[in-house]
Amino acid sequence: MTTARAAEAPQLALGYEPPPGGPPGRVWIASGTGHRAVPVNDAFKARLVAALLDLEPQPGAWLAVLGADAGGLGDRERRALRSRIAFLPANGGMISNLNGWENIVLALGYRDAKRVNAALPKVSALIDRLGGSPRALLAKLPEEMTLYEKKLAGYVRILLEAPELVVAENLAGGLEPEDRRRTAAFPAAYHAERPDGVFVQLDDAPDD
Amino acid sequence: MFAVYRELEGSTRLAAHVLRRFWVLRFPPVMEELVRQIYFTGASATGTIVVRGAFIGTLIIAYVIEVLEADAALAVKMLLWVVLREIGPLIAAVLVIQRSGTAVATELALMKISGEVDSLRHLRIDPHDHLVVPRVLGIALSLAALTLYVQFIAVGGGMVLSALVIDASFSELAGYFFLLASPLDLAYSIVKSLLFGGAIAVISCYYGLNPPGRSINAVPKAAISAVTQSTIAVMVINVVFAYLVYGVALFGLFTAKV
Repeated sequence: MTTARAAEAPQLALGYEPPPGGPPGRVWIASGTGHRAVPVNDAFKARLVAALLDLEPQPGAWLAVLGADAGGLGDRERRALRSRIAFLPANGGMISNLNGWENIVLALGYRDAKRVNAALPKVSALIDRLGGSPRALLAKLPEEMTLYEKKLAGYVRILLEAPELVVAENLAGGLEPEDRRRTAAFPAAYHAERPDGVFVQLDDAPDD
Repeated sequence: MFAVYRELEGSTRLAAHVLRRFWVLRFPPVMEELVRQIYFTGASATGTIVVRGAFIGTLIIAYVIEVLEADAALAVKMLLWVVLREIGPLIAAVLVIQRSGTAVATELALMKISGEVDSLRHLRIDPHDHLVVPRVLGIALSLAALTLYVQFIAVGGGMVLSALVIDASFSELAGYFFLLASPLDLAYSIVKSLLFGGAIAVISCYYGLNPPGRSINAVPKAAISAVTQSTIAVMVINVVFAYLVYGVALFGLFTAKV
């Protein structure tokens, strides 16, 4: 089993098997898969997200990300691999004392500060394309935003860096039907920035 | 006992992180947080501190003159010893604990409970870099600046009042002041204020980032712990610092002019 999994890792964009005795199920997404929605229950999702963000599978679990078996990585390799992944939490991941603009360029300010000032036209275009109002959204504090606006701001923040793998948690969850329809455009917006990227939605399992 | 050790260790680790990661100030988001913190702790607190400083300075002078039947030299000495070296930094520290210590602990505890600290990790941003470094530096610098305000207002106000109630002119009092004061007094109070500010901020950040639970009830508990422990830390630093500088006086290198 271990040898078989190790052989498959290079072909996977995301592969995860929980430890024996953990929640049932597995995620197996091949490289080059543009967009996949994976129904998962809460327990499975929590374990997968924890393993993915730390790139450290729980004892007995197995994780492969962007062709690499995460279990055998050193610290430097793990950091390098982590920089190729983005995660959009269900609540958008906003920081409450920053307005929309500051939230969107927060990560960019740490990693590529020179691009921040030039990012405004692109940010506005992305918000506009995804059905938001740039002027209003950029000035709002998270407490003034709807859930869709929080998800949108969090997503635009990811699109500015467009990493190779984007994992979105419960993208349409908790949204009004109109906003839910707008999220259908999210994967296309990502692939416009990163045509070879993989977009994975972790949706609630139907029985949840 | 174990909890005390854990809290001391945690706070020490945070302080070490700040010293080690000073350079993150070059990142615009950290610099913006620093500016926000200085505005909140320093600039927006000046009105309150001016009033308190003036009251304390005039109160001390009034008591000294009344109880000790002081002359100009003694009144100035009291201002120097009490206000410049001790009360100034302490008043500023108490004000900062009341305003910024509680605010920082509450804000960070809420961020922790609502998952915002995790959101920073998801973005590959070290929460200590983004949240702790600018708050510690901002509060330390602001406290030093507030101390200067208090000293200026309390000493200046005290001398103005003294000139009105004892037989000495303002210029005579000012002359005594400049004769008796040494640069060490100012350096002493500023360094002490920086230490007070650093300690208050580190302790407030520690309790904010480690609330005792994940419910909303943990927020006021974090704030109470931050205020209590910050106050104790300020008192301990004050005693240790006074002993080091004016007691054994750094192996006798410095002695206070009295």
